[in-house]
Amino acid sequence: MKLDQMRRYAATDMVDAVVIGTGAGGAPLLARLAQAGLKVVALEAGPNREPGDHTPDETAAGELYWMDERLSDGAMPQAFGGNNSGTGVGGSTLHWGAFCPRPDARDLRLRSLTGEGVDWPIRHDELIAYIEEVERFIGVSGPADYPWDTARRYPLPPVARNASADAMAAGCAALGIVTTDAPAAVVSRDWQQEGGDLRQACVNCGTCHQGCRNAAKTSMDTTYLPLAVAHGAEIRPGCMATGIERDARGRVTAVVYVRDGIEHRQRCGAVFLCGGGVETPRLLLHLGLANSSGQVGRNFMAHVATQVWGRFDAEMRCNRGYPSSLISEDMLRAEGAGFIGGYLMQSLGVLPMTLATTMARGGRRWGRGLTALMDDYLHLAGIGINGECLPHDDNCLTLANETDAFGLPKARVTFGYNANERAIDAHATDTMIAIWRAAGAHDIMVLPRAAHTIGTCRMGESGDAAVVDPWGRSFDIDNLWICDNSIFPSSLAANPALTIMALSLRTADRFLKGQ
Amino acid sequence: MVGGMKDAPVIVLLHALGASARSFDAVVDRLAGYACIAIDLPGFGNAVGDTDFTVEEMADHVAAIIRARIDGPWVIVGHSMGGKIATILAARSEHGALPGLAGVVLIAASPPSPEPIDDDRRAMMIGWAAKGPLTEDEATNFVSENIAAPLPDAVMAAAVVDVRRSDSAAWLAWLERGSREDWSGRIGVLHLPALIVAGSADGDLGEANQRRLNAPHYANADVAVIDGAAHLMPLEQPAAVADLIRQHVAIAVATRPTIPPHFARLIASDRVSARTRAILIDRARPDAVDYVPHVLSSGQLATLRALMARVIPQEEGAIDLAARIDARLHAGEGDGWRFADLPADADAYRAGLDTLDRAAGAGGFAGLDDERRDALLMRIEDGDCLVVTDATLSPAQMALWFEDVRADGVRIWLAHPATMARIGYDGIASGGDGWRKQGFAKTRADDPERWEPRATKERLR
Ligand SMILES: Cc1cc2nc3c(=O)[nH]c(=O)nc-3n(C[C@H](O)[C@H](O)[C@H](O)COP(=O)(O)OP(=O)(O)OC[C@H]3O[C@@H](n4cnc5c(N)ncnc54)[C@H](O)[C@@H]3O)c2cc1C
Ligand code: SF4
Repeated sequence: MKLDQMRRYAATDMVDAVVIGTGAGGAPLLARLAQAGLKVVALEAGPNREPGDHTPDETAAGELYWMDERLSDGAMPQAFGGNNSGTGVGGSTLHWGAFCPRPDARDLRLRSLTGEGVDWPIRHDELIAYIEEVERFIGVSGPADYPWDTARRYPLPPVARNASADAMAAGCAALGIVTTDAPAAVVSRDWQQEGGDLRQACVNCGTCHQGCRNAAKTSMDTTYLPLAVAHGAEIRPGCMATGIERDARGRVTAVVYVRDGIEHRQRCGAVFLCGGGVETPRLLLHLGLANSSGQVGRNFMAHVATQVWGRFDAEMRCNRGYPSSLISEDMLRAEGAGFIGGYLMQSLGVLPMTLATTMARGGRRWGRGLTALMDDYLHLAGIGINGECLPHDDNCLTLANETDAFGLPKARVTFGYNANERAIDAHATDTMIAIWRAAGAHDIMVLPRAAHTIGTCRMGESGDAAVVDPWGRSFDIDNLWICDNSIFPSSLAANPALTIMALSLRTADRFLKGQ
Repeated sequence: MVGGMKDAPVIVLLHALGASARSFDAVVDRLAGYACIAIDLPGFGNAVGDTDFTVEEMADHVAAIIRARIDGPWVIVGHSMGGKIATILAARSEHGALPGLAGVVLIAASPPSPEPIDDDRRAMMIGWAAKGPLTEDEATNFVSENIAAPLPDAVMAAAVVDVRRSDSAAWLAWLERGSREDWSGRIGVLHLPALIVAGSADGDLGEANQRRLNAPHYANADVAVIDGAAHLMPLEQPAAVADLIRQHVAIAVATRPTIPPHFARLIASDRVSARTRAILIDRARPDAVDYVPHVLSSGQLATLRALMARVIPQEEGAIDLAARIDARLHAGEGDGWRFADLPADADAYRAGLDTLDRAAGAGGFAGLDDERRDALLMRIEDGDCLVVTDATLSPAQMALWFEDVRADGVRIWLAHPATMARIGYDGIASGGDGWRKQGFAKTRADDPERWEPRATKERLR
């Protein structure tokens, strides 16, 4: 994005806030604070780019991912890098899939409704009001009538369906499962972005995960960040926050960061930590901050994201078109299911290398079985889920003995499914196989997979059991706030980014109230 | 379109100053089975009357013929002056403009930099042509000066006729300008497999200058010397020249996973961004035949090659996945995470390969037949490979490492544009550099856009 005209602050300036990370959590609040006239500086570890710089080449698009090594263990070691974390001005929204269902009211009250899981300390209608604001601002495309929420309206008509979506619609129809066009944070028409440039209508190129070259897909560098810069925010790319300085009373006074190997510090009145579900807890654990609850790094969650693939007689070319153009919310509460919560289903278009990696890892394919499968790439199509993951004590992020290039200990993430996730996985697998059979797929394959980095700095009502309060403010340090995927108390079945953006605006409003 | 043996490259031959296409007649006779196109360059042979004498124009002339007549892989052979044109075309091909080139053979070739010619000799040759076509004596003198032993009468006579019928303006254009043009910066270093042939009795374009002036432009070049030959090798020793060409074509075909021309044209088209095109062309560079590993020992590299042959079996024109994995480990390019139970990537590969060799028994993994290799890999996959003494990875670690190996192998395989062509994946062509990107107008099943290629496998059906 254009940064050459932006306002700049000196390190000696006392800015109102430093925001660490410019992804879904950092960007909206940066804009909100700047709009309110505050002096704000964002530190972003990754580089700044223009949308036109992106390339559909899957290997080269690896530049969008957070590639500093993380260690994975547990029963289901999580793939990071390309699977679930990004870097650069815009964070993971540079390569996210922009599939943006709204969180379901029941998912925020699992404990009250089922006795398991946890409740969110936020009212659903309050969250939805913020979500609607986000949807209007970024331009979400979706169906005129949303079957599971008839009052809902989307600002833009849906994007084109692709072959996977048509197959899923047919398979679901045969089984009596309701589907509709997916809500997508993609503009289906040219869209003059408030505070930014014209975003061109989606051209169905299918490479959202490699970065949208048309700015059709919402990413923070084409939406909230230009708005922030237009209102005087400074964004510093290539700046890795490594320390937080505090005064005698324990309040934050400055953020220490490294740019081109040189350490700097920015004085500030408050800090917003928005580094994502892995970097935020890693930094806090390393600095020994904000952890009187002992909850930092605990309850790491990843959505159950099982995929089912199959070969069709027709040529599917599933790389064409917006990748997840169909949704079903029917399994958000499945009848007679032996689990709490539920899952969303979506059609899948996946580029060959990403697909083959999942086939080779979770699908345990190799040899002719793998090459012959990929030779049929044009005939493959898939469907997948995003399913509830409950917080669990065994799943956590700790610091490893090894250090990274900055001398910070690497994160070690231990993750495995527990009974509820296993039950969701089994139910979803059966359902998806049935749908794919009904759609006419042969050689059906199940690819076990989990996605997203959720939890690790949960919000809650009490400082004994949570790291931040319901607005994202640390219980221990009153001018340290967290806003990113880490504050989720439970995963919700809905994909996370829309909720993160909404929470970001809400956190900003709370902060501004206190000013 | 021309055609010879199925899938064999077409051999394109470019002659020397004062010669013509027919200077390759005896060579072509000995390349039976290959389709050969020997081209008369402007001003020579049957192309007298054509006035495109500059080096650039000569290259354009040849490129136009290749585009019109070849729809598959090709190899270029350039003799003397024709060698400089060949190298320029090779560079155009590596930069994506002229698809399908599989290898280069340079015979006593003029280099991309100014050709080293003795000043007096150049002045004499210019003097011959300055007054019009060369006389019989001048032409005979010219041919004789460039051979090590007398030619058969008929060959000698034809060579003299060719010199005499050359357009003197073309002759002068080369001596005064073309041979002096410096293309070395524009050519840079090419990666196509090249064979540089020198005559043991040649003068300024003999072995020493070939190594000094032509070899640095080819990262994958072999140099061969034909004994008892001077500068006009196709006339002097056609059998030796043909044998070398035949061998090099075999190597070029074997070392290069070829990008079929239809896919190369797609990469060159305006549906692909300049950045993406450069990435794909770079990645399509042939692997060095004698790759020296940085991270693995040569024994470990051999084991990894044997392993890759089972993990990602490739029929023809294999991509050296093992070498590419070693290069990646060397560059320290990880994928953002690793199994906590495995050591760092390079160490894991070294330990995994050593353990694999030990588990395979005395002859190592490469010593097993395919069936036994697969049987061992299946046990490793199940976390149940033999615990061997001195093994550095446990069976559980071997299972994790084998998962990494599968993912690394398939990713590098699919990254190659030849594999994209093979499976029919054209998502790299979803938008060029225009203000509006093309994307896809059609997204439904069984509804390809007109420009979309089919999978190579299906094209063959
Ligand atoms: C392939 C993929 C597809 C996805 N698809 C979807 C989808 O379809 N729908 C959906 O809702 N969600 C999706 N997600 C998830 C979504 O992108 C994330 O949930 C969301 O972006 C997380 O926001 P965040 O603010 O927590 O972190 P991020 O967006 O990851 O932002 C964190 C930023 O902080 C920076 N940072 C971290 N540490 C530091 C530091 N110490 N100093 C400076 N900067 C730092 C990082 O570089 C990064 O830019 C997808 C994710 C991936 C990887
Ligand atoms: S499919 Fe649409 S939103 Fe996705 S990258 Fe292409 S143009 Fe952008």
